Amino acid sequence: MLRLIVQRLLALIPLLFIVSVMTFSFTSLLPSDPVDLILGETGTQEQHEMLRERMGLNEPIVVRYVQWLGRAVQGDLGTSFFNSVSVSTALMQRLPVTLSLTLVSALIAVVVGVAAGIAAALRPRSLIDRLATVGATFGQAIPNFWFGLLLVAIFAVNLRWFPATGFSPLSASPVDWLRSVTLPAIALGLSSSAAIARQVRSAMVGVLQQDYIRAARAQGLSSRRVILKHALTNAMVPVVAVLSFQITVLLGGALIVEQVFAINGLGTLAIGAVRQQDIPMIQGLVLVMVGLVVVVQLATDVIYGLLNPKARPS
Amino acid sequence: MKTVPSDGPAAAPSRRRRGASGSAAIVVVAGAILALLVFLALFADLVSPYDPLRQNLIASLQWPSAAHWLGTDDLGRDVLSRLIHGCRIAVIAAGEATTIAILIGVPIGLFIGYRGGWWDWVVMRVVEAVVSIPGIMVAIVILALLGTGLHKAMIALGILFSTSFLRLARGVVLAEREEVYVRSARVVGASGGRILLGHILPNIAPPLIVQTTLTVGAVLLAEAGLSFIGLGVQPPDASWGTMLSTAAAFMDLHWFLAIPPGIAIILTVLSINLIGDVIRDGVGRGITVAARQDAPVASFAALADVAPSAAALPPPRPDEVLRVEGLRVTVSTADGGELPLISDLSLSISKGETLGLVGESGSGKTLTGLAILGLTSVALRTTHGSIVLNGRDLRTLPRRRIEEVRGNEVAMVFQDPTTSLNPAFTVGSQIAEVLRAKHGLSKSAAWARTVELIDRVGIPRPGERARAFPHELSGGMAQRIAIARALSCNPSLLIADEPTTALDVTVQQEILDLFRDLQAEFGMAILFVTHDLAVAADICDRISVMYAGEMVEMAEVDALFARPRHPYTRGLLSAMPHASDRKPPLPTIRGSVPRPGTWPAGCRFSNRCDFKVAACERRIPLTGTDRLVRCIRADELVLEAAQ
Amino acid sequence: MRSWITGSTIAVAMALGLAASPALSQGSGTFKYAEQVKLITMDPQKQSGSGVPFLRPAYESLFEKGPNGENLPLLATDYAVDGLDVTITLRQGVSFTNGEPFNADAAAKNINRGVEIGIVEGLKTVESASAADEYTLIIRLKEFDPAIISTLCYTGGMMIAPAAMADPALDRNPVGTGPYVHIKTESREGEVQVYTPNPTYWDKDKIGLARYEVWEIPDDTARLNALKTGQIDAGNWLSNPQAAIIDRTPDLKLIRNNGGLNYHVIISDREGTVVPAFADPLVRKAMALSIDREGFNKAIQFGLAAKSFQPYGKGDWAYDPALEGVYDYDLDKARDLMAQSKFPDGFSFDMPSIPVYQSRLEALAGFFKEIGITMNIAPQEPGTLARVSRTTAYPATNLVWNTITDPKFLALRYVYDDANYNPFKAKPSETLLALAEEGLTSVETEVRAPVYRKMAEQLAEEAFLIFVTNAPILIGTSEKTANNPTVVYRYGEDSVNLRGLKAND
Repeated sequence: MLRLIVQRLLALIPLLFIVSVMTFSFTSLLPSDPVDLILGETGTQEQHEMLRERMGLNEPIVVRYVQWLGRAVQGDLGTSFFNSVSVSTALMQRLPVTLSLTLVSALIAVVVGVAAGIAAALRPRSLIDRLATVGATFGQAIPNFWFGLLLVAIFAVNLRWFPATGFSPLSASPVDWLRSVTLPAIALGLSSSAAIARQVRSAMVGVLQQDYIRAARAQGLSSRRVILKHALTNAMVPVVAVLSFQITVLLGGALIVEQVFAINGLGTLAIGAVRQQDIPMIQGLVLVMVGLVVVVQLATDVIYGLLNPKARPS
Repeated sequence: MKTVPSDGPAAAPSRRRRGASGSAAIVVVAGAILALLVFLALFADLVSPYDPLRQNLIASLQWPSAAHWLGTDDLGRDVLSRLIHGCRIAVIAAGEATTIAILIGVPIGLFIGYRGGWWDWVVMRVVEAVVSIPGIMVAIVILALLGTGLHKAMIALGILFSTSFLRLARGVVLAEREEVYVRSARVVGASGGRILLGHILPNIAPPLIVQTTLTVGAVLLAEAGLSFIGLGVQPPDASWGTMLSTAAAFMDLHWFLAIPPGIAIILTVLSINLIGDVIRDGVGRGITVAARQDAPVASFAALADVAPSAAALPPPRPDEVLRVEGLRVTVSTADGGELPLISDLSLSISKGETLGLVGESGSGKTLTGLAILGLTSVALRTTHGSIVLNGRDLRTLPRRRIEEVRGNEVAMVFQDPTTSLNPAFTVGSQIAEVLRAKHGLSKSAAWARTVELIDRVGIPRPGERARAFPHELSGGMAQRIAIARALSCNPSLLIADEPTTALDVTVQQEILDLFRDLQAEFGMAILFVTHDLAVAADICDRISVMYAGEMVEMAEVDALFARPRHPYTRGLLSAMPHASDRKPPLPTIRGSVPRPGTWPAGCRFSNRCDFKVAACERRIPLTGTDRLVRCIRADELVLEAAQ
Repeated sequence: MRSWITGSTIAVAMALGLAASPALSQGSGTFKYAEQVKLITMDPQKQSGSGVPFLRPAYESLFEKGPNGENLPLLATDYAVDGLDVTITLRQGVSFTNGEPFNADAAAKNINRGVEIGIVEGLKTVESASAADEYTLIIRLKEFDPAIISTLCYTGGMMIAPAAMADPALDRNPVGTGPYVHIKTESREGEVQVYTPNPTYWDKDKIGLARYEVWEIPDDTARLNALKTGQIDAGNWLSNPQAAIIDRTPDLKLIRNNGGLNYHVIISDREGTVVPAFADPLVRKAMALSIDREGFNKAIQFGLAAKSFQPYGKGDWAYDPALEGVYDYDLDKARDLMAQSKFPDGFSFDMPSIPVYQSRLEALAGFFKEIGITMNIAPQEPGTLARVSRTTAYPATNLVWNTITDPKFLALRYVYDDANYNPFKAKPSETLLALAEEGLTSVETEVRAPVYRKMAEQLAEEAFLIFVTNAPILIGTSEKTANNPTVVYRYGEDSVNLRGLKAND
């Protein structure tokens, strides 16, 4: 397993390199001069030059990239153009928020998706199967932010079961955290649970026809054990691949759902940074996103290896 | 050989018909919605009752009324008119972004696919990098460079979605290149590149259409999302996303604002996705339909009602472990009928005895084994007969009790050891699991017993092999594991379904020896299913020959080989290769086993039989006492053979 | 030249209502305030627009406003104006939270830094500041300025520790003399800024809290929910649906603080550099006439505001009743003017917007559309509207003018060719320039009022400032906060006076 992780980590180096080059080159692609952005057009020529020098904008881009990379590797992603907030600090403060949201919604998506998928697969073409299929089709067509608005209107504004907006950190109060994260996570997880349900259903239908399932039944193992252990373990192999992709989707979706619930996560940070063209912040955000995706992929590779022994390097 | 089909073959065509009419209805409804969308987009100015930007601050936040069918928004603008103009933006957005995605993705994909090498490597790494970032983040970053607005947002989405078209085009080129190089090697002098282009264009169209529908749906959702967070269409212009953005601020005061644009988005995306599904199925089906054309259109109604014959049952035997009488297994068809797969099957096995069940593919041997265990798939039902194991009729037991019986009293070894062992677990754990579940052994006791069993089936270094995964073992070794698992609870009956067929010839003999040894030691009865008469001759005490779902002959092994009484048995025997005589070609039985539902009404073998007479058109009962045979000319034929 | 002493009144005013309870060096409890704009900077001399609630805990100004707008001592104890020289006597025994002493040197450095940075408009009249002796600060003016002490009541008079001025991260590390100290480690960027008592505060009796928090909640609904659920004790609102909901909700209270937020459109490009039509006064007048202020107030501000045609509100000393209704909604007349102008077919322009002004701008776009003008709305990050308005990025902008501001700032903000919000450096008309100068010749409101009325009339005539509606400063509070006698809202500000503030209960 360690070998697998190391292999995967090595394979990530070109990816991270290309992402870092891509994000870094934004500075030069930007239509407006960052110095103008920061000073407005009010600063004097002298102030412009000083800032230009301080930001190292007079150096060739390759030199700047190497310097930036050198700092980035040490965790220093620079400082926002518009205030003295360090990009790493800002990201680290927002990360737990977006991460909570993404992970809880992934959990919901997996639980709902797997349960619906199994229920549908056990009785193909039954009522449950049809309901699950129709539900999954709708689930993939409903915009997550609209579903979020609806959840707020029903469960927060009318029933008052959950707070309508905001986020409580897990460290402060696990109960409040769960309450604050439930509605956004459901809104976010809807379409992923639909995608997972579809995948689980088709994988499960395939697996249930396998000889080893019949063999396990022939051995007198209970249906429950056969379905939940023998069939599901194998059906999850393709599902894990989908899940890896879905977590990327969820991470993106979180950026929008955060707006519905006025949650201060990476999404709020990203939208603000984009509106202000705060380049260091955007660079940092992209790197963090890629980092998260990479971690997720690594984790799913490991799970994939656990579920599917053939995939392990020998 | 084969596994039992999960759904009845005859059930397929009518289900497909029903599915087709269902999807036709979906296409019509979805198509109508999309047509309406395009119509509204084109004629928004004519259709909408009001100017979408015309505000009336005095009449804001109104509920639906005759004047304003969907009410008014926070500035007193007509929601319906804004919704209709939103259609235009949706159509523009979808068209623009998808076109950009295709125009960027397809040419680059074709180029790198054709060119290969460094171009391919670099572009694909960049694509991977883009794909690894959440899509909406990519769009947001591109918008940071371009600024906000509908067209800029659509350029951003176009760039984002171009990666999937790029990969698609590249994939098609790579696939075609393989094929074309093979062919152009034959046709000397033909230009590979030219042929390639000629091949790509027709081949890229179907996946391109599918990908386009997928992209359009995704673009609409993404546009709504970007407009919702204020980076797409800018107010006061009406897009569904901006309308929702406004609605979000008024959820407390006037939640209805969120409903019309939400429904519009959902219906549109749903329609596109559904049409996309249908197109995708259509593209996929082009291949599968051909393979299904021989599906029988059966007139099996008459056959379905074949009553169990009052004919001979196998005589009672001492120490009988299993006794099956009058078994019938059917598959339910789409129109509610029942199509028999096995009919009127009776057999019995004694302690320590091995009964062979032989026949060609499709004769129902394996299904018989599964039916005894109650393990036929969902679509199949055992409708008649009794299965008495150790004095209890399994068909009368509730499911829980049957689960207890399985493993403890009867176990099964399957044809392909590599598929009958679960690939996800170590082989040892799969045996130990049975011991723990059935005998309640502790973890360590189960493991110790597992290692013992593995040792008993003749695998060296059993402790180590127990920790191996199925794919790490050879076929023979895996089959030994499967046998060890089957015997773990010391069953009185072992059903072995072609246990040697998938193995090398040398290994076959070892496995057969193992069966013999284990039977001598444990004394269980074995129902040995095989198509290979040589194997059956080697291991069986008695043999039952099956044809088209029924037994045609049963006899002691020596008697059967010496004097086969059914023409089918004779055919099988003469088709048997003997290592000693090498006189090719082997005579074979002409034709093949008819599919269920196409069985001849009388003797089911009659259409392949060289000895067919008019009397064979009637149902033929199984006759005899010690030896059983289902042929009205059995006695004549024995004479003939003797001559 | 005239000496103008109010020292004695200052001493009396100091005893103002806040000093009842037993003296505790450390307060108890927490008070949570929600700010509707995002925190841009905590450097008072770089601060513009809103966001003062983030500064008040850590920074104190030389003077502060009393309940009726009078100037009261804070870090300064007395002042004297002698022509262009303002002599300010500083409080003794005050030190900054980094240990530096507060003295005339420090104060002079602050004033000079503010002048150099040039963002605080009130300091535009200042030539320089210097220390006469340890506790006497001399500010030398470029021109006579009747509002200089008022300026020193706000960010212009806030005192930063001199050593901290070199800190490039001063915008997030405030070091002042205030009753509370900013705690960076507990603050979360973009979410909450946390303050705890200043152990070296010069007036320990006035520290009533163990902790003060300013939450950054730009989303109006989110802020309302936070107030409903008790996550915050008070917060500021614009006149919008959420404020109307607070006003209607029985256990919440909407405080209408003095001072008005006078919402107006500014035609920055009034010489037509980018949008030629803006150079035509007929066009600008047509725009002013096309706005249905009544409907605007009802639909967008939920009746919490009043129609506005001039910078000042009813009851302000410079208010000109003659201007009432001068641009009352008259679509026909507006269309006529457009037809007469050089741009009868209309034109289009871009307008920066922040989320809280989104619906206002949509409504304005709707009005302008009626006379053939297309206004494209360009969203900005919350808190950056003021900054972007000082650049030539947009030909027009929209801001609020706080009616308690001295009218002289009209010229400093909009009129002079180097005014902060005159990014296109448009030349002011002779009339306006003359009036602006005349308004500075006296400190007596009776003398100045007629001048500024004329100025308002001239502004209406030139119509590059199009006033729409004037709403009071709105602070939403919970019932407990409303019943807390120690909660005192600063005059004309959307913040609470922290000196003497105690937690609810």
